[in-house]
Amino acid sequence: MAYRTISSKRDNLKRFISVAATFLWFVLLSGCAPVLPWERGILAKGAMQLEPYPLKSSLLAHQYSSREAASGGGEASGGGCGCY
Amino acid sequence: MAAIKSAYAILTAAALALPLTQLCAADDQAVDFQYGHYEEGNRELVNTQSRFKPITVDSLQSKVQLKLADRIRLSLNFTQDTWSGATPITTAPLAFRGNRQRAIAPNVLSGASPYLQNDNVWVDKNFTPLLLNSTTGKYTPTNQLVHTLSSASPETRKQGDVHLGYDWDEASVEAGAGTSAEPDYQSVFGSLSGRLDFNQKLTSLNTSVSYTASDTHAMLDHDAVPYIQTSTFGERVNSVKNTFGDSVKLLTGERDDWTGHLGITQVLTKSSLMEIGTSYTSSNGYLSNPYKTTAVIFVDPLQKIGANGELKASMLAFLEQRPTERNEWTENIRVVKHISALDAVVHVDYRFFHDDWDIQAHTFSSDWIQPLENGWTITPRIRYYTQNAANFYRPYLISQQAASKVTFDSAGSPIITKYDPQRLPSHYSSDYRLSGYGALSAGVSVTKKFAKSIEFQAGAEYYTHAGNLKLGSGGEGNYADFDGYLVNASFKIDLSSLAMAEDVQPPHTHHSHHATHQHSTPAGVMFDHVLQQAGDAMVGYRYMYANQAGTMQEGLSTVNDVTLVTQACALKLCYVTPQSMSMNMHMLDLMYAPTDWLTLMLMPQFMDMHMAMRPLSGAPPSPSMMDPMGAAIAHAGHEHTTGGVGDTGFYALVNAATFGDQQINISLGISMPTGDSNIQLRDTHRQHLGYIHYGMQLGSGTWDFKPAITLTGHQAEWSWGAQLNGTKRLASSNKVGFVLGDTFQSTAWLGYDWTNWLTSSVRGIYTLQDALKGSYQGTYYQIGAMDFPRNYGGQFADIGLGINIKLPHDILLGSLINFEWLQPIHDDVNGYQLPREGALSATWSYAF
Repeated sequence: MAYRTISSKRDNLKRFISVAATFLWFVLLSGCAPVLPWERGILAKGAMQLEPYPLKSSLLAHQYSSREAASGGGEASGGGCGCY
Repeated sequence: MAAIKSAYAILTAAALALPLTQLCAADDQAVDFQYGHYEEGNRELVNTQSRFKPITVDSLQSKVQLKLADRIRLSLNFTQDTWSGATPITTAPLAFRGNRQRAIAPNVLSGASPYLQNDNVWVDKNFTPLLLNSTTGKYTPTNQLVHTLSSASPETRKQGDVHLGYDWDEASVEAGAGTSAEPDYQSVFGSLSGRLDFNQKLTSLNTSVSYTASDTHAMLDHDAVPYIQTSTFGERVNSVKNTFGDSVKLLTGERDDWTGHLGITQVLTKSSLMEIGTSYTSSNGYLSNPYKTTAVIFVDPLQKIGANGELKASMLAFLEQRPTERNEWTENIRVVKHISALDAVVHVDYRFFHDDWDIQAHTFSSDWIQPLENGWTITPRIRYYTQNAANFYRPYLISQQAASKVTFDSAGSPIITKYDPQRLPSHYSSDYRLSGYGALSAGVSVTKKFAKSIEFQAGAEYYTHAGNLKLGSGGEGNYADFDGYLVNASFKIDLSSLAMAEDVQPPHTHHSHHATHQHSTPAGVMFDHVLQQAGDAMVGYRYMYANQAGTMQEGLSTVNDVTLVTQACALKLCYVTPQSMSMNMHMLDLMYAPTDWLTLMLMPQFMDMHMAMRPLSGAPPSPSMMDPMGAAIAHAGHEHTTGGVGDTGFYALVNAATFGDQQINISLGISMPTGDSNIQLRDTHRQHLGYIHYGMQLGSGTWDFKPAITLTGHQAEWSWGAQLNGTKRLASSNKVGFVLGDTFQSTAWLGYDWTNWLTSSVRGIYTLQDALKGSYQGTYYQIGAMDFPRNYGGQFADIGLGINIKLPHDILLGSLINFEWLQPIHDDVNGYQLPREGALSATWSYAF
């Protein structure tokens, strides 16, 4: 079991590095298609936010996390036991 | 066309100024409230109709965002959940009949937890469960599984957290901390996050780290404990005495969770953006659920096979044992795209989760945000989730050893050999949430945005969990399927946008007049003012806390336990007495003037109540636990809690007369019975206890008439007021058989403005409340004074001391925050009651 844990962590580290490398590639690529400041009106719409309704999203996330094994994945912030 | 260009210019300016992750107008200052209700459908118990009410959860959330200085922002969040109802405690083969209902009297069924254990079950040589037909004596193999349900009385969780952030032009940092508390689980948490914009703000890098420390203090279900094996309790479970001197099993555990997150957001085109993220969570400690057990079927391999091929077995229950370490990884990608032809925005999100419990989960979700005319927006949503089972998940376990075996030594003395717990797996759980399944949900929300940045939202989502919805094959059987729905209603006040509007168009003079007028009213007073002009609106939040504790009173005098035992329960004897009772009430105050002379007011409520009890000295011996009365007395050793939506008030207010600096307002209102008045205690000790104490119900259960007449006035620094108000129940009985007493109240106050932002007030209050009438028509057990209608109401007098603060304009737009403490000075109670210790009122309001 100990070997498995170490191995698993090593795999996770590799995965983390690969994701980080993807990010870097993505950033470099993004410089090719600039969106000029005066072209960002649509991007400023409320519906274009990553979380347009954050309070509702947190309610849904709380319900999902009390009923599913893959809870959150984002920032941990309390949330209680959800033991029911 | 000019207006469109102007709006476009404002949006563009906002986009230039704001970081990528907040490309819309940032809610620098905003107030949000949300109510949510989640309810599940009945579980499939196969051939048995569950009489348990499924789990329901009522949630209240509030969020206040402030800007403390040019670049410093503060966010305050509060969440409260109250839940009750039945959920699975374990899973077992149908043949072992764990889903049975236990008849304790004709037409009265009790809980199923005794069937966690069954010493008379059979399997065949392949360990397939055998169903015995007691009439024919025939055994039928069946692999059908079924849950055993356990029901919980209402419990409440409260969470508060605070976040402080600092913004640079192209970066930000934020620190957060908070705590979550529920009767059996407490946690504290902190987080640190940062954002860095670059590439002309087309790219943002987001990172965060957070830590949560949690403690479990779970009192094991006393109905289940006698049937749960103690051999695996270890040091986590200990016997402790509750306030009634009863021995209970307390499970303690600690856990730590660290999470790191890294994400990048990238503008792809002028109408689309994308986010990619990854996060890692490391959890250590007690990660099990203290209320879930796993059934283990013990089969002695040395026994002789029966004539019908049957093997005798025993089913025993063990607390689930999850690993004490878990490492979780999540990768997600989200695309947000504006569809110009429809002016809609589509969000598409995919999330991949995997951990070292061998769970892999995929989540797909999509929202379509479609603006309509007149500020309306409709957002349909769909989500699909699928996971495979944890590597230690088993619906039940087979152990090839005898649960208990009797042999004889050479002297002929019996030797009892029990099973060896070391031969069980290290980790096991039959919690359906760790099984393989899929979940499909679909919903819609409707948003209405009013001018001046007020946004209302209502939504509903249907959720269905099924083994055959799992991606690929191998999902859990349909015995574990369930569905549920979640509804929510929220409103949001964007104070930043209001401030921008006021900068363009200064507020009308009546606003400041109104604010000054309301400035002097104590927090505990309602219906004191009307709006001035058609179209005016006001939103407010009102909180009230009240507590009762101390020595019980009869009328004006304190009484001892012996008196309570013999006198407080009518012709019966009392066994327990309330020790303390507290109530928290959250109210929204929504006012709107459809005409100059009429103000309408809607006041929804959300509340929770808690009652602690103690045994009475000199009380007769408690009946046996096998008697419902005995079980009800034993259950009083736990704090009783209720919570959820209360009654909703709807009021019409008019200004009846104005003379000089004084005015008289009349309010006529109706209280709608939206709060539950039929809450019951959970079954305990296998007994059905019926309705909870009258005073713990969340609503009256009747439509109530609530009139009020109010005089207010002010001169120079002084202000004053007086009010008469009442509550008249419009029915002689609610649906469960009782009606709360009518109420009359008179009050008068005097206020003094120390500065233009600080007012203090002193107030006198007299209240007359009738006793309850009628009584529960159904099962309930009268164990103390609080279970008798005559022990409610009385005559009360209080002194109120208040402070009213008008905030600076740059903090919450100069809205008002009022506090008032009510100190009881006279309690002349009907019958026998706890004295009042005091009440706190706090209000926040903003008129526009």
